[in-house]
Amino acid sequence: MRILLAEDDPLLGDGLRAGLRQLGFLVDWVRDGDAAERELRAQPYAAAVLDLGLPLKDGMDVLASVRRAGITLPVLVLTARDAIPDRVRGLDVGADDYVVKPIDLNELAARLRALVRRAHGQPQERLSVQDVTLDPAARSVMQAGVPVTLSAREFDLLHALMLNAGRVLSREQLEQHLYSWGQEVESNAIEVHVHHLRRKLGNALIQTVRGVGYTLASDLPKAR
Amino acid sequence: MPRSLQGRLLLLVLGLVAGVWLATATLTWFDVRHELDELLDSHLAQAAALLVVQQAADIDDDHRGVDAPTLHRYAPKVAFQVFHEGRLAQRSSNAPAEPMLEFTGRAADGFKTIVIGGMTWRVFATHGSERDVRVFVGEQVESRNSILWAVLRSSLGPMLFALPLLALAAWWAVRRGVAPLLLVSRALAQRSPQALQPIAVKGAPSEMTPMLDALNGLFERIAELLESERRFTADAAHELRTPIAAIRAQAQVALGAAADAERLHALQATLQGCDRAARLVEQLLTLSRLESGVEHALVAVDLATLARQVVADAAPVALSKQQVIEVNATEPCTVRGDATLLSVMIRNLVDNAIRYSPSGASVKLAVSNEQGVVQLALDDSGPGMSSADMDRIGERFFRVVGSGQDGSGLGWSITRRIAAVHRAVVRVARSRSLGGLAVEVDFPAERVA
Repeated sequence: MRILLAEDDPLLGDGLRAGLRQLGFLVDWVRDGDAAERELRAQPYAAAVLDLGLPLKDGMDVLASVRRAGITLPVLVLTARDAIPDRVRGLDVGADDYVVKPIDLNELAARLRALVRRAHGQPQERLSVQDVTLDPAARSVMQAGVPVTLSAREFDLLHALMLNAGRVLSREQLEQHLYSWGQEVESNAIEVHVHHLRRKLGNALIQTVRGVGYTLASDLPKAR
Repeated sequence: MPRSLQGRLLLLVLGLVAGVWLATATLTWFDVRHELDELLDSHLAQAAALLVVQQAADIDDDHRGVDAPTLHRYAPKVAFQVFHEGRLAQRSSNAPAEPMLEFTGRAADGFKTIVIGGMTWRVFATHGSERDVRVFVGEQVESRNSILWAVLRSSLGPMLFALPLLALAAWWAVRRGVAPLLLVSRALAQRSPQALQPIAVKGAPSEMTPMLDALNGLFERIAELLESERRFTADAAHELRTPIAAIRAQAQVALGAAADAERLHALQATLQGCDRAARLVEQLLTLSRLESGVEHALVAVDLATLARQVVADAAPVALSKQQVIEVNATEPCTVRGDATLLSVMIRNLVDNAIRYSPSGASVKLAVSNEQGVVQLALDDSGPGMSSADMDRIGERFFRVVGSGQDGSGLGWSITRRIAAVHRAVVRVARSRSLGGLAVEVDFPAERVA
């Protein structure tokens, strides 16, 4: 799951990025408000962690302006401002969650997963399509009750497809979900990962829409 | 003296009234008695004169010893004797047979107070033109006293009744007079300790206005102090959250790290975070002490020596960044100040210059003395500062953005506060000699003692 981290403090930013990576997130880190807004407008992040006291442009202004631009991604505000009016304003401007520093990394990760899940209309932590179940917290996949071992990229790809079950995701969109900045993307990387997933989970799950991308068959009920 | 203002006023007013009344009564006493004596004495003398005249006209030995009739209730208090040729010719019924006074010639004429039969008498003695007639007219002093009492009773008696009423009235008046005071004290007593809004001065008696003004001034200062304290605590807690969050995140990363290199990096970052939090706490404490309004003992301090020490301490950091740091402080420059605070200030300035200047930059500290005005000047060849930032610098926790440095934004606040303690003026400008930032601190001219 690729998220944007906007935090100006070098030590905290570094720690959050490293910690969230350990927990399976792909993290892009920006250190000022202008960069945060630019990236949020340009990239399809699954979620964003936004500090409010950002240089150049305050986090609250960044949030307001991306919401005005119709960007609906889940935003978790992580800030030192704990006054009730600040919290109220943050949530009113469009934050989906408001967390005061310091925060446990596991909790932060859980909150991010919950935000992403809800943004995709999934009330439960586990995602299910056909006989495949994906647990984002444990980063585990089961097929018909049997654990399936996936690489990190394969897991992320399946996660993106399952979150968007019933929708077609283009190769570019999938690449953006799977790779953060500075990671080399080979031209046929998505095809290779899809190929591996089909080999492990069967051909019926992932369908190719020629000239557009991939989708998961949503004829079977999802998590229910 | 009672401690209550009301009691004092009451005591003073009533005491004065009672005193004046007593003095008046005493004066009246003496005056009335004197007037009464004059009046009654003149009556005695007149009666005596009448008796003498009458005796001279018809001395009738047949009437010798005959008692005069009693004509008035007052008469028994008055007695007379008429002697002719040494023998009693006439007397009032209440007069003794013996002469009231000795026959001792002319000298015995006039008034005399004597005791006859246990009674005190005022006696007037006189004689006829011929030596053989002698008249004594006496009056009981007791009767005079009762007249005196009657006069005093009627003139001063009502006052005696008026006194308690007066006391009551005075009590009421005093109470009414001090009512505004009671009102204020009640309002103050009922105030919650947190309430610092001013007391209404409008309508208060003019005598109380200065006190209320002073009190309101005090409230205002306390409110300001509390507000600054509150803001400071909030800011401090706020500013400490980020380093603590960083320490926590890094420690958690170290715990979860799979690779040694990752763990090492996270642990080093954790330590860095601790150092930063510690420095922040230290700065907050310094600032808190500076803002607590404690008087700092200012003594003669040589700024040049301090500058050399600070630069010597900071030089290793500058050298590790390949920066050139120099100090120009040869002659002693004495200012009145607190050596510890001044060291902190110079260190802040030098640290900032080193920190925000790139490697290879120059940092120059100079201390000069121009006709008693001591100036500390710091120049660097760093990126300098925009004029907007120069205006905002010194605001608590204000940081120049994009500096890439994790300063707390407190160093400048501390510097400005220390300068203020020394009544020194801090100026920030573009460095003319090195092109970066120039900071000048002008100390007030030393007064020649």
